[in-house]
Amino acid sequence: MARTLNAPEATPDRSMAITRRTFIHKSLITAGITAGATTYGWLPLINTIDLAFGQTAFKFAWLSDTHLYPKNVNTRFVEKTVRAVKEITAMNPPADFLIFGGDLAQLGDPVELDLGADILKEVKVRKVFIPGEHDWYLDMGVKWERLFGKQPWSFDHKGVRFIGLDTVSRGPDYWTAKKMTPKERMGHMATLDGSVAGAWAGVGRDQMQWLQTTLGSWQKDRPVVIFTHNPLYEYYPPWNFWVRDWREVHEVLKGYTNVTNIHGHVHQVLYNEIGTTRSIGMLATSWPWPYAPEGVPALTKCHLRVDPGDHYDGVGWSQITQSAAAKIETEYVMWRKKEHLIGEAAVDSGCGDNVNQILTPRLADREWPYYGAYK
Amino acid sequence: MRIARYGLAIVLVLGVAMLVATAGLDRAFAHKEKHTPDQLKAFEDIFIEQVKVGDLLFHGDGDTEKKLGTQLSKTGMACAMCHPFASDTHPHEFPKFQEQINKFATLRDMINWCIEKPNEGIKLAEDSDAMKALEAYIYWSNRGSKLDAGRH
Repeated sequence: MARTLNAPEATPDRSMAITRRTFIHKSLITAGITAGATTYGWLPLINTIDLAFGQTAFKFAWLSDTHLYPKNVNTRFVEKTVRAVKEITAMNPPADFLIFGGDLAQLGDPVELDLGADILKEVKVRKVFIPGEHDWYLDMGVKWERLFGKQPWSFDHKGVRFIGLDTVSRGPDYWTAKKMTPKERMGHMATLDGSVAGAWAGVGRDQMQWLQTTLGSWQKDRPVVIFTHNPLYEYYPPWNFWVRDWREVHEVLKGYTNVTNIHGHVHQVLYNEIGTTRSIGMLATSWPWPYAPEGVPALTKCHLRVDPGDHYDGVGWSQITQSAAAKIETEYVMWRKKEHLIGEAAVDSGCGDNVNQILTPRLADREWPYYGAYK
Repeated sequence: MRIARYGLAIVLVLGVAMLVATAGLDRAFAHKEKHTPDQLKAFEDIFIEQVKVGDLLFHGDGDTEKKLGTQLSKTGMACAMCHPFASDTHPHEFPKFQEQINKFATLRDMINWCIEKPNEGIKLAEDSDAMKALEAYIYWSNRGSKLDAGRH
């Protein structure tokens, strides 16, 4: 598996030239062949990564991780979601579609999901949805599916096959034996640094089979964009910054030379490549998560340290543009940091400031009754 | 007579010095007894109890807040939502100049700033039980981090 994924030729298609508002990872260039990364030492720096694929000019928007509470609890997240929606509707030329990447709600409350659906009604272009864990585990997706339909799905648009996967609903049953109420189940799921819900993020065999079939009718050198809530690789399992069956996913993707995975959940600027697949992490509108304690993929340049006193710092949405020159740009629309998204010096970097930090997972889930989950 | 007076003074001074020294030794000796496993467990239990209270507060537990008479957030946000595993709290870097507060600050100053600003809650008395519990949880979560006071 490692040999397959890390073979010298196993990099994203070279035609995906990154041309504008991008950053060349200096360490990879100097490391050259020893890093085995001579052809893919590219990172999203300021906002944008250009990928050369597709045929006709178009753009689409990504919005996710709004984590809405009922309005009487928190209006801050509502305001930011409304702002993102206004900006998306103001895109000129307009987006061909909006992908909502999950975690519309904070605790899966129907009031929260309805509020999100109401706000998103303002977006008149086509909308497609994939769920996050916060949307699902109160009623096991009943309300979500009623509002936004079922996943997975796929559609072809101007030369690109777009696929939406559900990486959240196939978690292990951690509630029945413990006789949890739906609210308790949701609370444990919503606690990122809890371990009760276990390795809940996954694609699952049935969906993997569906993915294989869906890709089977697509030429291997043609572009594929896969939307997921969780990243399709192992970044930091304790916070489910992964899917547990990512190796099998990449077995299915093997041979497809032009695959881009766009994901939410991590609430941060993030970039990685596994074999011929690149993964790009998107921002939340709600709040930024810290980078994983054990570090980030070598290809990631971390965003600037976030100012927790500014609700609009470190958050935003993204727009992805396919230019007339048949290139696609992924642009982070981070509200506070437009010119200097990436922290170059360690003292400025969202991950570089943690060099002396060692963390211990909580005691809260190691004894019964568990304590400290969100309610 | 003069010699006798000096002698008496010296005896008095020595006597007082002996008393002071003995009192000190008493205390020192008390701590040089070997600790029993029960004692050590009791010390640990007291600490871990506070770690758990701090964890509950850090994760926005309403019952614990009520019990301690605190309101750490009015936004629905809990500390742990930005600091899972108490990540990015950097207790090992305090005291230091803290940019947001624009002053030389302790961890307790920073905890109160987070409560008041991002969370829009009510700040804690610096020596309150809730503050000490939060401190216990944050330090415990960051055990083994390299002490690096003053680092920005």
